[in-house]
Amino acid sequence: MTRRVACLFLIACAGLFGPAAAVAGSADPVEAIKNFSGFQQIEVNRLLRGEVLSERDPAMGFPNGISAQTCFAVPLEADEAAKRLQTWDPAPHPELKVYAFHALHSPCTLVDFQPLDFKNGPSPVRWLLDETVASTPASSELNLTRDEAGKLADCVRQRPDARVVSMCWANLLSARASAYQAKGLAGVSPYEVGSETVSPSDQLRTMLRSQLAVSHEFLPILKKIGLVENEPDPAFVPFYYWTLFDADYHGTISLGAVYLLPINDHFQLVDLEYYVSGNYYTSATLYEVWPVHANGKSAALVWRGDYFAAPTLRFTEGTERIAYGVLMLQDIKKEIHCIQDEAKTRR
Amino acid sequence: MKAKAALTTAIALLVPWAVGWAANSIDISEELDAQYGYAGDVKTRGAGMTTGSVDEHNAYVKYVISPQLNKNLLLRFGCEWDRLTFGVPDGAPVPHVLQQATAVLGFDYQVADQWLARLEVEPGLYSDFQDISWRDFDAPVVLVGVYLANADLQWVVGMRIDARTQYPVLPVAGVRWKFAEEWTLNAMLPNPRMEYEFNERLLLYAGAGIEGGTFAVGENFGSDHGQPKLDGAIVDFLEFRVGAGCSWKVTPRITLEAEAGDMPYRDFDFFDPDIEYRSHNAPYGQITCHARF
Repeated sequence: MTRRVACLFLIACAGLFGPAAAVAGSADPVEAIKNFSGFQQIEVNRLLRGEVLSERDPAMGFPNGISAQTCFAVPLEADEAAKRLQTWDPAPHPELKVYAFHALHSPCTLVDFQPLDFKNGPSPVRWLLDETVASTPASSELNLTRDEAGKLADCVRQRPDARVVSMCWANLLSARASAYQAKGLAGVSPYEVGSETVSPSDQLRTMLRSQLAVSHEFLPILKKIGLVENEPDPAFVPFYYWTLFDADYHGTISLGAVYLLPINDHFQLVDLEYYVSGNYYTSATLYEVWPVHANGKSAALVWRGDYFAAPTLRFTEGTERIAYGVLMLQDIKKEIHCIQDEAKTRR
Repeated sequence: MKAKAALTTAIALLVPWAVGWAANSIDISEELDAQYGYAGDVKTRGAGMTTGSVDEHNAYVKYVISPQLNKNLLLRFGCEWDRLTFGVPDGAPVPHVLQQATAVLGFDYQVADQWLARLEVEPGLYSDFQDISWRDFDAPVVLVGVYLANADLQWVVGMRIDARTQYPVLPVAGVRWKFAEEWTLNAMLPNPRMEYEFNERLLLYAGAGIEGGTFAVGENFGSDHGQPKLDGAIVDFLEFRVGAGCSWKVTPRITLEAEAGDMPYRDFDFFDPDIEYRSHNAPYGQITCHARF
């Protein structure tokens, strides 16, 4: 509680005593990263050679949450790197186990979800199909409201085959995406898991509040999104997407929005998963991208923070939690290497 | 909650640099493992004689509390009690009880990006508890490294060091490999298993178990049992079990296990006078509880 009050106080002070962009607009990217991150030794030349710095964050005082930081370079101009990060498609990289990734129009329509297909899917997708068919308003392994679970059960009951299940999911996802596009985080319905109600927006806010220095650094973009106790800026339009992937052998669908904000010479991005079908509640990935120059070449220096909320984390403590963090960082690094490789080959 | 507060204060007093840490919130995890098992009557032979049928009750409790000092280091404090009770015929030179009552001291540390290490010392009494003396004290050390290759594959290497046993340094190795959604090869000592995840709460498994330890018997144990050479001897006890069972996650924090099978080999090895008593093939059953807080 004390910590939360302190966080609000700091954020309020940041608003009173000057725009956070002043901090974010620091001339030396390395010093800027040192100021808010866990990295105190950053050698840009090593990063330009492909090294990825990584740190598990200490426990965040939020039992469902875990976070980690990375720092790396991409051989692209900063603006180009930021644009690519905003719309980056992980599906072409089989090691990331992403089966589908598609942009959504704004406003989205059912047509946007036409590629969602449970037919002939791999084993994790069959798991999602089975869980969908087994869901009832009273009991479901999936992240749904009771109303959604009821509608899904009614929809699937008519003919529980892959094509019908895909169509039922498309309806559900389209409704969720439309609500987010209209109202931002205020439009995100909480999951009614068992006797608990879990709000992805609250989980995101709690995780970000627990990292004071990072929240302060990203205040400009977090404010525009509406993640810091204020209304979102309706003119601040993100890149919307939906994706289907394998999360620990379970097929998982998520809806996300990636926001990009230029600040002076650098860029802030926030990738929010505002709906996840199961296995975990939500996640946020924050990026800050600076231009750097070394050996006559331009590149982008990227700080990345990953925040992840899952029900199992509440029961993952001690050494198990350290191991969880280590494995989480491995996945993040795998993704970063894909981003770097793509930047190299498409340059 | 009181225990956590007391521990925080104790660590702050003992470790001056921890005062600042103790003043802040700390993460403390707790582990409690308890087991009871029974192995049926089986003839035990050694030293050119048969001692008659011996059955076995074993009970085990281990409690460890782990305060996290920083993001890479957890201390481990606790206690362990393990009692093996043998139903032996009168005069048979097999201990009626082998028991350990020890403290647990150690730490877990992330030594590199993908490496975690555990050092654990268990100082205490390892004895038949007939006449307690310094000879009953021992402090075996276990050092283990875990390589987290990925979420599905982890390797374990390490060693157990115990100056009092016949083999003071024992290397250990193992692997945990989830090779399919439901199947995991969990080849980790002391309970290597093949596991099948029936659902999120129920796990079925088949595998082996190793029960072992090094104990001092009483000063007059041999004389009282017609084998004077065994007076005050050290005995290496080793038992293998092969069986199948199920593991039920009652809550996310509590797991119950029940298993049964065959105990193909049991050995009381008084290695200094070189006298061994062995048994083969007895049915066994055991129940276990694991709790994590």
